[in-house]
Amino acid sequence: MPTHDITPTRSVLLDLKKRIKLSQNGHKIMKMKRDGLIIEFFEVMEKAKQMRGSVVSDYQIAMNKIAVATAVEGEIAVKSAAYAIKAEPQVEVGSKSIMGMAVPRVEAKIERGNILNKGYGVISTSAYIEEASEAFENLLVTLVRAAEIETTMKKRLDEIEKTKRRVNALEFKVIPDLLEGKRFVEFRLEEMSREETIRLKLLKSKSEKA
Amino acid sequence: MFGRKGKGGKGNYPYAVARVKAKKAQLMGEDTYSKMLMMSLPEISRFIGESGYQKEIAALAGRYDGVDLIEHATYSNMANYFRGVLDVTTGELHEMLAAYLEKWDIWNFKVILRGKSFGMDADSIKEDLVPAGKLDQQALERLLSMESEEEIIAAYGRVANVIFPTELISAYEESRNLSELEDFLEKDHYDSLLRSIDPSSRPTRLYQDYIRKEIDITNVETILKLKAEGIRGEEVMKYIIPGGKQIDKKLATQLANAESLSAAVNDLAPLDFYDDIKNALDETNSLRSIVAGMKKYHIRQAKTFSHLYPLSVIPIIDFMIHKENEVNNIRIIARGLNSGLDADVIKELLVI
Repeated sequence: MPTHDITPTRSVLLDLKKRIKLSQNGHKIMKMKRDGLIIEFFEVMEKAKQMRGSVVSDYQIAMNKIAVATAVEGEIAVKSAAYAIKAEPQVEVGSKSIMGMAVPRVEAKIERGNILNKGYGVISTSAYIEEASEAFENLLVTLVRAAEIETTMKKRLDEIEKTKRRVNALEFKVIPDLLEGKRFVEFRLEEMSREETIRLKLLKSKSEKA
Repeated sequence: MFGRKGKGGKGNYPYAVARVKAKKAQLMGEDTYSKMLMMSLPEISRFIGESGYQKEIAALAGRYDGVDLIEHATYSNMANYFRGVLDVTTGELHEMLAAYLEKWDIWNFKVILRGKSFGMDADSIKEDLVPAGKLDQQALERLLSMESEEEIIAAYGRVANVIFPTELISAYEESRNLSELEDFLEKDHYDSLLRSIDPSSRPTRLYQDYIRKEIDITNVETILKLKAEGIRGEEVMKYIIPGGKQIDKKLATQLANAESLSAAVNDLAPLDFYDDIKNALDETNSLRSIVAGMKKYHIRQAKTFSHLYPLSVIPIIDFMIHKENEVNNIRIIARGLNSGLDADVIKELLVI
């Protein structure tokens, strides 16, 4: 706040003092929020790391099982079994609020029925295809959960960045400017008070001489 | 339970066996698979092209490449061989072979029905057909050209002499779930296959025993698959194919009622193939390894009767079993190498 824009009055000083107090409180709360978000971010990051590990391992298992199923039963049989499956995985995307921040909530609605209601015959479908199908169902669930956690992590990171910018703006710009303004108004008021005193003294001495 | 129309006549055994013996001589030896494991995919394509698959490789090379070419060419070659054998046989021999090869008609019917219900176009489905059964390419294409799935089911029933129970069709129309229809066809296939064999002679009895052991293996696989999903008791018994050699209704019920996979496999101890699956049970308890063990036992069973009764159905069935196994083994090697599977894993999957 440039000092030349400030009218050095007592009401402005009071207003500045109020704003300084508010900004300092806000700064303190924002700092706490930033620290809280950082702690939470690390927790989510740990989960995300674990989920990435799970995605990699589930993917490897699924690819290994589909490779074996395709080798033993042939691609035609595997493809044909896949066509028989009627259930389509549904993904529901919503949001939830954590510390006033909207984070995504992704829920996979995968009908993980047993072999009896998959859509293909129980007798003729080989154990290899069945194992591959289960492995891919697991992978899909893991992928959806990983997507939720990764998005939450990215949202938190954005929020931390935003909060950090606000904290820095308060700490290095808003509060110093307000303090500067307050100092200027106080100085000007003191100055005006001294001028008033001198003026009164001068008036007094003039009236005494007269 | 299962409805069928017509069978009968005499067989031209000497001619059919002579033709099949010449074809069997062209089959790959066991050591060939080890050599193929050391090859790259183009090398495998070239190698099988020089080992009897040349015509199919050349015909399909414009449409497919790599591992897809190998898979389609080997299937096409097998279909040509099987249909060739089926075409030259007559009478009861033809009936028996047609009943044995009906599994390929069922396979094709399932490919068509599943593809249609998924919304695949006819050309894509046509590429996946393996006309190795009684129904030739034209018959399958006629099925494929039908508009609705109900028409396909009805037409298949007519050409394959299968009478689908009306309640099964109604259930399918309601749920659009193919599983019951497919399971019915599997049971119906084994029922008609067993009925096509007249066990009055020693070779046909051996053949019947082989089929009944196949039923045992299929039943055990079904029980173990369902058990792994936690399904027990009466629910399992619905999927048991009658007519097994060693697994009668009592043993099947016992296996179906067993508490867990481990408890179920203990009940398998008295069966012939127990030794082949024992290691898989002890070490991993993996369904995959158990099934691989049973497949190896089954092919060994076929080998035990391959040289017996030269003028019977046995040499022809033996050829068909080994030809199918060769096609499967080539595919396992090609797909395994293409997917980067470990050589030991591929070797374990091979049925030699």
